[in-house]
Amino acid sequence: MTPVAAYGDTRPVTILVAALGGQGGGVLAEWLVDAASRAGFPAQSTSIPGVAQRTGATTYYIEIFPVPRAALGGREPVLSLLPVPGAIDLLVASELLEGGRMVQAGYVDEARTMLITSTSRTFTTAEKMALGDGRYASERLVDVARARSRQFVGFDMDAAARDSGTIVSAVMLGAIAASGALPFGADACLVVVDASGAGADASRRGFSRGFEATRTALALPATPLKTTGVASRAPATVASAFAHELAAFPASCRDIVAHGIERVVDFQDDAYARLYLARLSRVRDVEAATDPRAGHGVAVTRETARFLALWMAFDDIVRVADLKGRASRHVRVRREAGARDGDVVRVADYFKPGIPEIAGLLPPWLARRLAAWDRRRQARGRAAFALPLTVRTDAVGGMVALRVLASLRGWRRRGARYAEEQAAIERWLDAIVAALAQDWATGYEIALAGRLVKGYGATNLRGKRNLAHLLDHLAAGPFATPADRARAIRDAREAALADESGLGLDAALVRHGAPARPVVAQPIRWMNKQSPVANAPGSR
Amino acid sequence: MEVSFSREVGMLRRGNGEVFEGEGILAITKGLLEAGVAYVGGYQGAPVSHLLDVLVQAKDYLAELGVHVEACSNEASAAAMLGASIHYPLRGAVTWKSIVGTNVAADALSNLASPGVTGGALIIVGEDYGEGASVIQERTLAYALKSSLLFLDPRPELAHMVRMVDEAFALSEAASLPAILQLRIRACHVRGRFACRDNVAPAVSSRHPMDGPAPFDYAKLAHPPVTFRQEKTKVDERLPAARRRIVERRLNEVFDGARDDLGVVVLGGLYNSLVRALGALGLADAFGAATVPILALNVVHPLVPEEILAFCAGKRAVLVVEEGSPAFVEDAILAILRRASAVCDIEGKGPLPAAGEYTVEALAQGLVAFLGRHAPELALREGRAWLASVARRRDEVGQALAMPLPARPPQFCIGCPERPVFAAMKLARETIGPVHVAADIGCHSFATFEPFSQGHSILGYGMSLASRAGVSHAMRKRTLAIMGDGGFWHNGVVTGVQSALFNHDDAVLVIMKNGYTSATGTQEILSTPSDAAKAASGDQGRSVVASNQVIERTLEGLGVGWMRVVDSYRVEAMRATLEEAFTTEFAGLKVIIAEGECQLERQRRVKPRRAKLEREGKRTVRVKYGVDEDTCSGDHSCIRLSGCPTLSVKDSGDPLKVDPVATVLDGCVGCGLCGENAHAATLCPSFYRAEVIRHPHWRDRAAAAVRGTFARVLRKDAA
Repeated sequence: MTPVAAYGDTRPVTILVAALGGQGGGVLAEWLVDAASRAGFPAQSTSIPGVAQRTGATTYYIEIFPVPRAALGGREPVLSLLPVPGAIDLLVASELLEGGRMVQAGYVDEARTMLITSTSRTFTTAEKMALGDGRYASERLVDVARARSRQFVGFDMDAAARDSGTIVSAVMLGAIAASGALPFGADACLVVVDASGAGADASRRGFSRGFEATRTALALPATPLKTTGVASRAPATVASAFAHELAAFPASCRDIVAHGIERVVDFQDDAYARLYLARLSRVRDVEAATDPRAGHGVAVTRETARFLALWMAFDDIVRVADLKGRASRHVRVRREAGARDGDVVRVADYFKPGIPEIAGLLPPWLARRLAAWDRRRQARGRAAFALPLTVRTDAVGGMVALRVLASLRGWRRRGARYAEEQAAIERWLDAIVAALAQDWATGYEIALAGRLVKGYGATNLRGKRNLAHLLDHLAAGPFATPADRARAIRDAREAALADESGLGLDAALVRHGAPARPVVAQPIRWMNKQSPVANAPGSR
Repeated sequence: MEVSFSREVGMLRRGNGEVFEGEGILAITKGLLEAGVAYVGGYQGAPVSHLLDVLVQAKDYLAELGVHVEACSNEASAAAMLGASIHYPLRGAVTWKSIVGTNVAADALSNLASPGVTGGALIIVGEDYGEGASVIQERTLAYALKSSLLFLDPRPELAHMVRMVDEAFALSEAASLPAILQLRIRACHVRGRFACRDNVAPAVSSRHPMDGPAPFDYAKLAHPPVTFRQEKTKVDERLPAARRRIVERRLNEVFDGARDDLGVVVLGGLYNSLVRALGALGLADAFGAATVPILALNVVHPLVPEEILAFCAGKRAVLVVEEGSPAFVEDAILAILRRASAVCDIEGKGPLPAAGEYTVEALAQGLVAFLGRHAPELALREGRAWLASVARRRDEVGQALAMPLPARPPQFCIGCPERPVFAAMKLARETIGPVHVAADIGCHSFATFEPFSQGHSILGYGMSLASRAGVSHAMRKRTLAIMGDGGFWHNGVVTGVQSALFNHDDAVLVIMKNGYTSATGTQEILSTPSDAAKAASGDQGRSVVASNQVIERTLEGLGVGWMRVVDSYRVEAMRATLEEAFTTEFAGLKVIIAEGECQLERQRRVKPRRAKLEREGKRTVRVKYGVDEDTCSGDHSCIRLSGCPTLSVKDSGDPLKVDPVATVLDGCVGCGLCGENAHAATLCPSFYRAEVIRHPHWRDRAAAAVRGTFARVLRKDAA
């Protein structure tokens, strides 16, 4: 046997890189091929950039023949341009979902493939645009990736790249160098990084971050990962004034109630907090009667405590001005803007108060007149009245304006919006209590329906209308069994959060024997297309 | 231009004995110079954009060689450029994205093929087929068959591809037929190395021009009566000449194998995948030595019957590996064998899929089916097990994931000037209702994806306005056509604007004036701002496309009577303009020019400049938008109106709020859309705009100090 034939059944090292277009995957592939040929190994990379370079999902594929060219007697191995499912030695993903996508496509082999993925998520538009929480569960992606790969390494490549002031491809190269999949050493990779000219130092830092993270992970036994970042705020510190009332609530919901009290005090005052507690106690007592052994862990009280607090602390001009005028907020803005010490930061805020916002602070009789005027205006085909303001909230004038508006807190109670919100809240609470007395599940679903009320202006109105309609026709309407009613309310709630148009909600309502929501009049203006006229250009 | 090829330009200069390292399409470019090409043209488009891009950037070196490069206005003008080779001994090459580009070029190609060529004429097409393709899935081969063009599909190994460029020119000259050289997407982007030869300066060129034109020769015109003669010449003389040379030069390759009772005929471009599939079945080694003999067709048209018959002689069955349909090659081989009454089973579509890309997995399945029938003694245990495991794995993972993973289509870049226009359209829909939207090719076609999901048809590059003609008359409301400036110059100005004006149609056209053909890599066009205008643009971040008025003047000249130019980032103004266009009494064509320079180009200017200033400790201002997490209610209407990659979501960090809140990620270029939308759509008061001044002037610092003092007094919870 000649030495050449001896290498006939040598398998090329196969590396599949999953990334987002524009993340530098092309650079990574170039580095790897460059490093391989400098080290004397036949290597090839392919990619399918096309329009995917515009931040779409894409892949890069590298094959390295693990025998030095010198030993091949002039023969060239035939390398594949396409990655082969189940025949990948190393899969590297710059983003968790893209790693999962490759597993879904069947590339990752339990017996052969090492999977190194970033645990960071770049959410897709479909995930981000949901009215509620449309994010795909990162935990599930990690579990599947871990279960289906020979070896699994997961770390936040995004953070590693950011901290090193470089692009993720440098971090990925470090990870690949540490994976042990390459027929040559890490130094060979560093040579090409150093040769990459501008930004070589940052790339080197990113490289070592990726290298270290991978080496450590491979050394340690599999450890569970934390995939979603932001930690919750510390439990609320409630004025001792409410310690007694708080103690009257079951332990399992005290944390949320405490946060709720804190929220409404911050919104208005202690008296308002007592109103909050009084409302919540009604629910607590009825739940205790319906579910004496707390088999459901007082979930109704808990969820009511959550959504009641959010609703009672509705975002009006006063609230927004208050929140925007805080020193803590200014600090946060500086941080988010990435300002360093010594940098000067100027901040402009975007407000667009309309009649509803302004009238909300006026007594009901005056508010009604203003609203009527605005409706007439729109009937004449004009846009609803609104003041687009861009306010320099870091400047003296802006700060004064915010403080003045925030100081209207006292007026709020006499305002029209306050009255409307309290009435709507009472309606929702009555529905919860009434239903809860009959059937726990129904009460629970109505409590969760409080989630529909959020946002500003039109969004907020839409939410309240949907909730009201749901209470009128599902909470009240006739049903064969309480279970049917509970299911109907859940379907309607989920549908309402599924699409903005509300078509899904209407379908759900009808499906459960309730009428679709009344159509809200909306002026549409257009010009019927006209037959060719003299003034048309090009007329002969 | 998006990419800088300084390193590659150096590669193009390499000579005998030196090694070229780089991308397939650039190896082809080097091959053109080694073959003594005299002129090169084409139209950009993935996967062949880089061929023209690198030559445009290498113009100094090309001037030394005397090679002329032309960035053509579309593929038709590129094909017409090859007319130079009809009379003159000039080797010419053009390139484009196929199938679409070949469709546009078809007329000129027919008129080139009929009289035939003196100098070699080569068309390098990027076959945009299979994974990563962005166009309708058809094959270019059909054009070669009907117009008698030579068609090469080289084995994807750089040295071989480069050799085939040289051979293609010679073949074209020997047969006086233009040649198409097809490269699949991955072949264009394959990165490898090959040994260079010296470049050859063309004998006749811009350095050594001809003194006068060729003598009048009616036979070289594509005009009756000679066209009838030319049709005969194609079949009687040119194709036979091509076949003779294909045999002499051994352009097609036979790889012997032990099982000479079987065989595989494969198009050259698919050879590597075939070998890998055979390897997976244990029938080929790492160097391609296979058990089953292989005939690799580097020249797919014309086929040489003698070669086919010789290969099939003594074989019981042969598998033909040819992507897509119709199965031209398979059918041709069947005909060749039948005419010669040769006995050999031919299989192709059947064991192999009739449509779609031939992945290694698809080829392996086809081989298993083929061999199972004709060589059942081969167990192929390993291969069958592998195929089964892949299928099983997909099911199991599918179940484990419970729900399919969200798709990630391409989208508008961060700060793209086209995104705000579609936000305005979405808002305008609330007041004018839904309208028929004729979409087009270009970045703006990303608006067919979420969150905008609009567009009724895409009929081709620059064809949007033309495609409304049949709809318009049958629709009460006016129709809306969207076109990029790339599409406008590619043909939209003629096929769309001219015909809408001539027929007095009452339609609305939005032109995205971003200054470049951005989707193909921001190549320059007639409406690209001048370097002077760019240099003069202050902090370099501002759009300078307004400095170029060619589109406006062209439309006025054509007689457009209603035209509005709107800064594309001004959402409210754009919404109002759209409403006006759909409600005005004016009954002719209404054109809205959405003006905003491609953000990629702007960032290419801004980033280095800012970095330099920061290094020098000079004052810089960076703008970043943000969302206040405690006023954001997690409804995400802002995202449904933007879809910007840097406008994302994060956990609220508020134990009461269950839904994630909006957040602006690092990478925000401060385009302003978030603020514009907040106002235009009355979203919410959560958005803020932060200006970070690094190395501030004393004036900045003084003002900040004053504000700080007041802040300590005025700000609630101030320390």
